Amino acid sequence: MKILFANHIHIARQSIASSRMRSVLTMLGVTIGVASITTIFALSAGASKIVIDQVDALGGNIAVIRPGAHSDGALSGIVQLPVGQQYSASTLSEVDIKSIEKISNVKAVAPLIILGGSVSGVSQGSPRTQILATTPNLEQISNLEVSDGQFLDPSLSGSTAVIGPQLSVDLFGTDQSIGKTVTVKGQPFTIIGILKRTNDPINYNSVDFDNAVIIDLEDGRGLIQGASQIQQINVQSESVEHLSGIITNINKALLKNHFGQADFTVLSGSEIAQPTSSIFTALAGVSVAIAAISLIVGGVGIMNIMLVSVAERTREIGIRKALGATNGDIVSQFLIESLALSIGGGITGYIVGYILAFFISTFLTFDPVFNWEIAGIALTVSLVIGTVFGLYPAIRAARKDPIVSLRQYD
Amino acid sequence: MSDLKTPPVIVLKQLKKRFGLGDAEHYALDGIDLTIQKGEFIAIMGPSGCGKTTLLNVLGLLDSHIEGEYELDGKSIADLSAKRRAHIRSQQIGFVFQSFNLVSRLNVIDNVALPLIYKGMPKLARQHKASAMLKSFHLGEREFYMPNQLSGGQTQRVAIARALVNDPAIILADEPTGNLDSRASHIIMEELSDLHKLGNTIIMVTHNPDLTTYASRVITMLDGQVDTDTFRLPVQSRLNIKKPLNLVAKQKNNTKAALKRKLKK
Repeated sequence: MKILFANHIHIARQSIASSRMRSVLTMLGVTIGVASITTIFALSAGASKIVIDQVDALGGNIAVIRPGAHSDGALSGIVQLPVGQQYSASTLSEVDIKSIEKISNVKAVAPLIILGGSVSGVSQGSPRTQILATTPNLEQISNLEVSDGQFLDPSLSGSTAVIGPQLSVDLFGTDQSIGKTVTVKGQPFTIIGILKRTNDPINYNSVDFDNAVIIDLEDGRGLIQGASQIQQINVQSESVEHLSGIITNINKALLKNHFGQADFTVLSGSEIAQPTSSIFTALAGVSVAIAAISLIVGGVGIMNIMLVSVAERTREIGIRKALGATNGDIVSQFLIESLALSIGGGITGYIVGYILAFFISTFLTFDPVFNWEIAGIALTVSLVIGTVFGLYPAIRAARKDPIVSLRQYD
Repeated sequence: MSDLKTPPVIVLKQLKKRFGLGDAEHYALDGIDLTIQKGEFIAIMGPSGCGKTTLLNVLGLLDSHIEGEYELDGKSIADLSAKRRAHIRSQQIGFVFQSFNLVSRLNVIDNVALPLIYKGMPKLARQHKASAMLKSFHLGEREFYMPNQLSGGQTQRVAIARALVNDPAIILADEPTGNLDSRASHIIMEELSDLHKLGNTIIMVTHNPDLTTYASRVITMLDGQVDTDTFRLPVQSRLNIKKPLNLVAKQKNNTKAALKRKLKK
């Protein structure tokens, strides 16, 4: 069996080499598919790694509660749409925050309301500027640092805001904007602090702090007419050991608040690291679609070429059968050939994918990641494509009547 | 024949092979009774369409949809699986085709080694065996030629070398000289007759009555049935008959000269 296998590989190599152009064109479909998959996974792993590093840097004692049920699976992080960001009502409420605060060993709780809307100072800000309404605890939980001034403080009277350094430059032309007034959704806010530059547009809060305006939770609710729009609740525990107990208690408390409906998700550790940037999600969605289509097209291409190859070699099949080849021998001969095509395409795609990922990453703030899962996915996908689309031509070859086959001229 | 006491290699009883259905039904083989002993050299003759090739395909287990009895080495082939039949083809039967049927993508030595693959022999052993076989057919220098670089006679010698490389007990040859001129034909026939002398059973289909002189038994077929069945002179006496090319005799005296002449072909 081993001998036959080695021989089939030899035959496949010969046959592919004898029609090099045709084989390369056939591989192209699989190459493109695997390249897109590799690019997405390498970049999304890179994005996740950043967030994981952030969570680790914070001491690993953070849990995050998001509205909506948890979706599992490898692709969920990629195809998942941004969690109900701006318009839909969130399932998390004030009451939930109160319940969580009561749980023992909880050190701090910070709800996040993320809004979009016009922000202006001396000049108009970008429409994509994020307005984050939260409580002072966020500074401690997310390790935010203020370069100038102070963070939110409820004891201060009037509407106050803390803004990111980039936003400050965009609105006022300087990062020294303390005391100036920023208009958020038509309401004036006095700037009391400027954040330190982080260069972390991707993080588990889904907020680019360099480019955001942070206001008090109550003020934020005023901007949306008191509606409940809590996108995320960050919980910090006293220590890492207490975290799992806290998560269990949060789940219990929230289930009770929500009348037994699990319309929220409590995440901790690397689970938090699902990339949530909407641009990234859109890019990933498109790439997955391209990958799926080109893999199917590539597979059909392989099937087509294998059928041609079987027809061309009808006589050879007849000879081999007359000389003692079993049907199984013929099936494996052609199957290995189609696998060689798809795996060849897969390996090329894997390499091209990483080249592409590194190219794209020059425009992003994170680097693609090498890990064996991505290599495994690329290999599995090519194996599956080669088998699924190579099986029919191979079986067709094996079913040929040797007598009829021998009569055919090549 | 001298070895009638040993069990026959092939026994056919009322063998029928039908093509088509209903109105188009037609028996290519219409009740053949035949017993073939080990070591016979049989020439099958007959007009086109009398079922010669069909008979050969049935004997070679390429065609198993038959009616009647076919016993190979005392065992009926009726209930053999496709895999088992492929195994028998690989172990016991060597095919020589009219149109040579070398795989054009493979060079000469790979073509000859082809049957050994399905016997499960390792690559180096295959190459050794194929190389030795080619040498015995005086094709040692042509090992790495492609089939299209050989003359017709050489190609057929390669095909015979391939048929013999797995030491088959039975050699089936379907008009092995059909595409060759008479000189090349006789060289091929000499090769076959040498094999016969070594004790191989050879069954050959031919159109050329001249070539039946090499055979020990001549069967003529007509309309899917055996028409005549003649036993020829035993091998030893046949050696004295004047042959069109006195190659075997010369070869014994002057191997080198014969070798050169053969290679020229």
